[in-house]
Amino acid sequence: MTHQLRKSHPIIKLINRSLIDLPTPSNISAWWNFGSLLGLTLLIQILTGFFLMMHFSSSDTLAFSSVSYTSREVWFGWLIRNLHTNGASLFFMFIFLHIGRGLYYTSYLHESTWNIGVIMLLLLMATAFMGYVLPWGQMSFWGATVITNLLSATPYVGSTVVPWIWGGPSVDNATLTRFTALHFLLPFALLASLITHLIFLHERGSFNPLGISPNADKIPFHPYFTMKDALGAALAASSLLILALYLPALLGDPENFTPANSMITPTHIKPEWYFLFAYAILRSIPNKLGGVLAMFSSILVLFLMPALHTAKQQPMSMRPMSQLLFWALTLDFLLLTWIGGQPVNPPYILIGQTASLFYFIIILILMPMAGLLENKMVEPTYVTPK
Amino acid sequence: MGPEFGRLAYVRHIITYSLSPFEQRPFAKYFSVGLPNLWRRFRGQVLRVGPLFMAGYALYLWAIEEEQRLKRKNPADYVNDE
Repeated sequence: MTHQLRKSHPIIKLINRSLIDLPTPSNISAWWNFGSLLGLTLLIQILTGFFLMMHFSSSDTLAFSSVSYTSREVWFGWLIRNLHTNGASLFFMFIFLHIGRGLYYTSYLHESTWNIGVIMLLLLMATAFMGYVLPWGQMSFWGATVITNLLSATPYVGSTVVPWIWGGPSVDNATLTRFTALHFLLPFALLASLITHLIFLHERGSFNPLGISPNADKIPFHPYFTMKDALGAALAASSLLILALYLPALLGDPENFTPANSMITPTHIKPEWYFLFAYAILRSIPNKLGGVLAMFSSILVLFLMPALHTAKQQPMSMRPMSQLLFWALTLDFLLLTWIGGQPVNPPYILIGQTASLFYFIIILILMPMAGLLENKMVEPTYVTPK
Repeated sequence: MGPEFGRLAYVRHIITYSLSPFEQRPFAKYFSVGLPNLWRRFRGQVLRVGPLFMAGYALYLWAIEEEQRLKRKNPADYVNDE
């Protein structure tokens, strides 16, 4: 046997086992591309963010103008900034599709991998929230004010915790500087979580659309999936460049072109599009603490997915009722995103409340029930071992 | 770390045949079989996806009109005003 460095070198063999000789099911579809795309997007965000940070000043008097200076005077600063802001949108688009794949094909049955994934979602949301505050525009300031104020609903400690987070009596310079530090730090926590996520995934190997063991038909990751992921990356890079070069402000809010002013409240305070579903759930409950709990529950419910799985057939490929509920959940998510961006007027109030209720009913009640019904309808000859 | 090639599964009596990539057309039947297959896959899913999203879109259109209507005064309430 000839000496193969990629299999014997202590560091290179780790890369070999993850990206080259990794046995991968031959039938994983395009929905399996989003994992690598998320890793790529994280890399883009870290690189563009690093270059932006070279020119950013995290003082409340200088932040807005430093971002303006970066966009106007720094070589390709406008491009780096556009890539970073639109890269964040792309990051969320991919993670929603990645989670959707996980729900449809019941990837959550890899519990360790799934739980780390949910933690990564929470880290990403925290990072994006803090990153949006940094330009110190009107929406940056007021979005931070609204969302951090929600923590005051916490019983007993709420009114103490909020000024502690702010670093003062309101969102001000101290808040901006600590958000800058955290926004720089958290992506590396995300990177560490990503490595842990992959370690757990590679213990058992990827799932596949059929839901049966693929061990009899696996192919090496390289060249098949390096090429497939390269195609996915090319398409993703094209979308990012189209946004960054032609439509940089499409997904943003015009209010953020105005410097922050604590004396002028914007008429419609709302977060970026990727948080609107949570914002709709928050606003659907008239009680402050209730709204906060519902909002956090909408993400934390993902931790319950393995326990809520009742079907003997693993993926939804052969489960029509569950498929219908999955698409109902997707539609519900889109409706919540739309409602989150609307003012709190009728009929949006009722639609938002109904959609919020259905979000939890579908996940907690209807999907498990559908799984049980489908078990009775079909007698599977092969049961996937857990 | 995880199962490697050679330790994945033990199978017996399975024989696979394959052609060298240099001895076959790269995109054989891509359109002649691929397009009907795409249509078959579409038909299998469209009734589970389509009606839901059509209803959602109808709700979206109705809600926008309803919000506009609720913002306006009703002309019929003022028809007898001098």
